[in-house]
Amino acid sequence: MKFFLNGEEREVNVDADTPLLWFIRDTLEMTGTKFGCGMGLCGACTVHLNGQAVRSCITPVSAVEGQQITTIEGLSDGESLHPVQSAWVKHNVPQCGYCQPGQIMSASALLAGNSNPSDDDIDVAMAGNVCRCGTYPRIKAAIKTAATELAYEAKTGGVSNG
Amino acid sequence: MKGPAITRRNLLVGAASTTGGLAVAFSMTGCANTASKMDEAGKWSPNAWLDISPEGKVVFTLDRVEMGQGTYTGLTTLIAEELNQSPDTIEVKFAGAAQQYRNPDYGLQITGGSNSLSSAWKPIRVAAAAVREMLEKAAADTFGVDASSVVLFDGVLTNDAGQTLNISEVIAIAAKQSVPSEPALKAKQDFRFIGKHSSRLDAAAKVQGTANFGIDASVDDMVFAVVLRSPAISGRLKSFDASELNADKDFIGAYQIDTGVAVVATSYWKARKLSEKVSLDWDLPQELISTKAAFELYRDAASKDDGDVVREVGDAQEAIDNSSNDAIELEFEMPFLAHATMEPMNCLAHVQEDRADIWASTQGPDIAQVSVAKVTHLDLDEVHIHNQFIGGGFGRRLNQDFIGEAAEISMAAKRPVKLVWSREDDMKNDFYRPATFHRLQASVSDSGEVEAWKHHVVGPGVMDWYIWDAAPAMFPSSPKFMFPMLGKMGLATQGTPMTPADRSAYEGADDLEYEFKAQEISYSKADIGVPVGYWRAVGHSHNGFVTETFVDACAEKAGKDELAFRLDLLKNQPRLASVLKLAAEKGGWGAERPQGRYVGIAAHKSFGSYVAELVELSVESGQIRVHKVVCAVDCGQVVNPDIVKMQMESCIVFGITAALHGEIEFVDGGAAQSNFHDYQMLRMNECPEIDVHIVDSAESPTGVGEPGLPPIAAAMGSAIYKATGTRHTRLPFKIS
Repeated sequence: MKFFLNGEEREVNVDADTPLLWFIRDTLEMTGTKFGCGMGLCGACTVHLNGQAVRSCITPVSAVEGQQITTIEGLSDGESLHPVQSAWVKHNVPQCGYCQPGQIMSASALLAGNSNPSDDDIDVAMAGNVCRCGTYPRIKAAIKTAATELAYEAKTGGVSNG
Repeated sequence: MKGPAITRRNLLVGAASTTGGLAVAFSMTGCANTASKMDEAGKWSPNAWLDISPEGKVVFTLDRVEMGQGTYTGLTTLIAEELNQSPDTIEVKFAGAAQQYRNPDYGLQITGGSNSLSSAWKPIRVAAAAVREMLEKAAADTFGVDASSVVLFDGVLTNDAGQTLNISEVIAIAAKQSVPSEPALKAKQDFRFIGKHSSRLDAAAKVQGTANFGIDASVDDMVFAVVLRSPAISGRLKSFDASELNADKDFIGAYQIDTGVAVVATSYWKARKLSEKVSLDWDLPQELISTKAAFELYRDAASKDDGDVVREVGDAQEAIDNSSNDAIELEFEMPFLAHATMEPMNCLAHVQEDRADIWASTQGPDIAQVSVAKVTHLDLDEVHIHNQFIGGGFGRRLNQDFIGEAAEISMAAKRPVKLVWSREDDMKNDFYRPATFHRLQASVSDSGEVEAWKHHVVGPGVMDWYIWDAAPAMFPSSPKFMFPMLGKMGLATQGTPMTPADRSAYEGADDLEYEFKAQEISYSKADIGVPVGYWRAVGHSHNGFVTETFVDACAEKAGKDELAFRLDLLKNQPRLASVLKLAAEKGGWGAERPQGRYVGIAAHKSFGSYVAELVELSVESGQIRVHKVVCAVDCGQVVNPDIVKMQMESCIVFGITAALHGEIEFVDGGAAQSNFHDYQMLRMNECPEIDVHIVDSAESPTGVGEPGLPPIAAAMGSAIYKATGTRHTRLPFKIS
């Protein structure tokens, strides 16, 4: 079986019940996606499945056959940071940083579907991502900054100076 | 490079008492620096921390780990300031284990106790300033002018006439000079980066997933291991049967190790799945540990006698007996807590004939060497530690058990092995924040003065668990058979001039800023056998709650406003008083609140820093909701203002998490909790707005990684009392 990882076709050569997380980390050796709980409770392993945020630690590889998966390594176009990543840097969000790839994948999926999320929208979308360093207030602020930036880009096709 | 010889004089130096919970058994001071040298490729290494490439690129060897608290940025900023170039132009690498990187406060290469910045404040700046002076002198010699007329700025050396040289053009000359021992440090008014630089040097890597944590390490031919451990504390493996695994092509081996059975396979997931097919027979202890039994033990100890008096002012008992008012008394129970770092314990180990290589996230690389040496044929200096970014420490990674396990497995499997703990392994095999019991008594006079304050703390001492690998790390030239003896010696001499007392249980109780007329703080050691370790703010994490809650009770008895009552007791302690006033002012103490909102305030000094927190919360249908926290902190000279704020935010969330959700309960010998569904973390939807204010100060810098935690639960409890009329003396808060 095959699926697409960050736009590239990948052949799966592990047991069908292997969680996507471990195929990505151990077989493909892409370590940006993190292991936190193995039960879909903490969100450290969040990736996009056809643009939706999913927990790769409880998603068997068999479930993504033919689908599009995006990891933190594929979020930006490679040239510059994704607006969510830039907002994270601007607000000094990361502390230990371990949960942040998952947080960023959840936040970017939220903004892709909701360009102007309210505090409640952010709470709902981000409640599945645990941060033990307690960066939640900064994550919330950074999501709002990223929303503004994305709206600006959508309107003008360019990047703001903010 | 050899460190200083261990002399009897070194042994007699006590670890700094200000660092309480982390004070380890022995301490050495003045660890030797490496000498200035230049290698064949033209790289100049003026000291243990700095390398300058032939092209003039500065590389800083960071000897305190980065686990979120900001050393990567903060310590680099100290280097940058004295070299007079931006922190982001300096490359940072993590130190291996070496004696010159020992933490001067502990005599061990550990990161903990919120002292990375305070202990580096002078030596790191001196190291960089010496290099600046050498470069300026080298340039002056080249120009043929006096050294005082050359200035190093952003990598360029300029003289009065405006002539310039790059660092790369003078390092060969500078390298030949002797290193000045007392270079001039910059004055505060000349700081370009200290107190101003506010971004994080590790942020870009951490948002792109390119920061490498221990769990991300890999080497060729690496295989993966999981470990099956006893369901009950101190259970021992009798036998196991892994024969069912032999047929699987991905199975590599199953090995008995000290803690259980390691199952090794070609991937983590295969190892995990195969481990389910192993049958195990355990020899479990007769008496299975429980939380219930722990508190029975503590209460027995508290009833037996007053324990050891660790601080005495006047005669507190006499004052209580002679008071015209009845004494007030409260008893507190604090639970066991897990660290639950987001990155579970893990280690990649490769043990070979003549060396071991260890890739891990550890707060104690030299203690990690001990944990490997103990289970292999190797000596300490044959164990090479490759430290990585740390996905959360909070004290958990001061213990090196997971590193010893990985080494044992690699030796058995004869190849590089990456051991990864599951979340369940992590939560059930922690070195937990100790559960403790407290009895407090006070008498308050008719005029509202605290005549006497008694606090009896009961619980285990963390050092009893920590010393076994820590002591050998302090004496790396000791033969391995001496290791257990060193631990015993450290324990036996605790509280003598040779070894400081272990204050981990009563720190934050025996050093209160409040001026009570008489006080007696006492401690009874009682240990049920649950492995315990350092946890964010350690003893302060329970004593901050206990003492501040009891101060509230005293204020009520005195019929006074809690803030005014505290300020009365702090007339000679301006720093704690000023953070209280600042938090009260910014948080609107006494101001009208919306219906159903209640406010509490508390303050605590720990790790040299002063923190006050004001909480606004509501209690509805048995649910506590923290809406807002206003924090004021005085941590002396600030190096990176935003990192100070981040650490306060982090401590506040960590503390609220524990106060609302945190409890590990032992039932039938093991932890009942296993993952984030039953050991819950605060999440985005529960997180309050947090507003941090920093006091401007020119005092030497003090800690920020922990001091924000101790006041928060007490401030919450104070507000909950106003909301419900119940003064809670157990954590986590449970509204009935």
